[in-house]
Amino acid sequence: MRTELKIALVLAIVGGVLTTAAFVMAFTTAAMQHHNTVVNAPGFIDTVYEIAPPQLQPNPPDGTVNYHNPWFSQKIFYFHVPIAQLSLLVFALAALFAGMFLKTRDPKYDIRSRIGMETTLIFTIGTMISGSMWTRASWISSWGEMGRVLLSEPRLVTYTVMLMFVVAYFVLRKSVEDEEKRASYSAVFTILAFLIVPFSFAYTRLTQQIQAHPTDVLQQGMDTSNLIPFIVAIIGMMALGYAIYILRVAEEKKRAQLEHIKEDIEDKLATLAH
Amino acid sequence: MDRLPQTSVQETPTPDTGSTLPKLSGWRQYKALLRKDIAQEFRTKEMVTSMGLYGMLVLVIYYIALSQTGLGFDITRIAAGLLLLMIVFTSMLGLNRSLIHEHDQGQLEALLLAPIDRPIIFLAKATTNLLFLVVVQLVVVPFFYVMFVAGSLTIHLGEVTPGPWWMLAIALLLGSIGIAGVGTLLATISVNTKGRDFILAVLFIPVMFPLLLVLVSAVNAVILGGSGYEATFWTMCAAAMAFNAVMIAAAYALYEFILGV
Repeated sequence: MRTELKIALVLAIVGGVLTTAAFVMAFTTAAMQHHNTVVNAPGFIDTVYEIAPPQLQPNPPDGTVNYHNPWFSQKIFYFHVPIAQLSLLVFALAALFAGMFLKTRDPKYDIRSRIGMETTLIFTIGTMISGSMWTRASWISSWGEMGRVLLSEPRLVTYTVMLMFVVAYFVLRKSVEDEEKRASYSAVFTILAFLIVPFSFAYTRLTQQIQAHPTDVLQQGMDTSNLIPFIVAIIGMMALGYAIYILRVAEEKKRAQLEHIKEDIEDKLATLAH
Repeated sequence: MDRLPQTSVQETPTPDTGSTLPKLSGWRQYKALLRKDIAQEFRTKEMVTSMGLYGMLVLVIYYIALSQTGLGFDITRIAAGLLLLMIVFTSMLGLNRSLIHEHDQGQLEALLLAPIDRPIIFLAKATTNLLFLVVVQLVVVPFFYVMFVAGSLTIHLGEVTPGPWWMLAIALLLGSIGIAGVGTLLATISVNTKGRDFILAVLFIPVMFPLLLVLVSAVNAVILGGSGYEATFWTMCAAAMAFNAVMIAAAYALYEFILGV
């Protein structure tokens, strides 16, 4: 237990330092992306106004602005993409633990799967917050347009569905009292939810009306100065995520121990009373 | 219910096979369970009437919601979404009811005690749910067509050229198969929880999301027609079939773990 906590502490510190380093690098060493980092569909305004310094701000939004020098919005790339990748990875792990629970019926895997889902929730919310910042800066001229983007883009729809799944998972857990039932229901639901994710991505793409999510950066390859903070951010966030996971598992173990001790004390009190 | 003991008596072995009862074949177990559910429905007529009535009420709500749109508004453009919405609501009601009976009257426990393979319980329950869904849709979908689509079609004549009705039937059948298959699993989960119908909605809608998305696209293609609508329709139907195949296989495999505890 002690060594686990030490590892978690070290990982949390390393993760924090690396993520901060990536943040600093994104603003200092990383080169500006000039080649179509942002898709400018007709009617969409790539805008950085209100965020960037005045000299970098584009012309007023009249619908024809085609601004190819995103200053602030591309910095979010170094955080948004790693968080999104990790949320899927953690979700896959939660589904794996769910499968292991169904196979072995060992409550340990149920706890791990649940903590995996908790971590997925944190990372999914992180993805959505950083993503909406990027959305605001790259595709839309007002928050009112958010709905149109949200309902048309495979990644955004998939994340919305994933968030619904994670919320549904916890609602389900809350409403089952029997521990064994709760564990197997939530394991079954996790596996089902994980199977839905590729479907919702593919089918949103199949039925979508407009394409707006920037993918050029990943497809065209990155400059070394861009790649370094990106990888540093991935490693940093993985370390942070794993630290959260270890700490939560340790907490759950302690909680179980505490419950055990409480029961012991109550038993002893009962015998004393007699 | 009263016929069940008879059938099991018929299936009991001839004396020379010894004291151990040989298990019924899977097909016979399936048929027996199917017969039980259908007989129960014929007696109470509860599922089909409640689902059908609910579907009609949804149509009334549509009528209220669209009452101020005027004649210029082309309802066919949103008819696919409205139709699928109605089916989602009615099927959620039906799925919930179909297992509340089993749960509250202890039928599920009785089934688990009986020497029946668990996957067969799933298949039988999913088939009856599918059957009831199809029956309800046979009644409600024509009403929907008359109330919302037919009138709009005469006004906007020429703008929309709908495809044949059997294409709509295929799309709705694919939807019902998916809803009944995966929905049976989710309803079995939700009937054992405190929230029941609320939990079913919370679990059902995200799981059905991809299927409903492609079905709306397929139904939309049929209703609006236009150039190349058949290609869109068949692509979406193939997508729905792929979803159904994967998810029903998963539900079939996972059902055992729901019943097991």
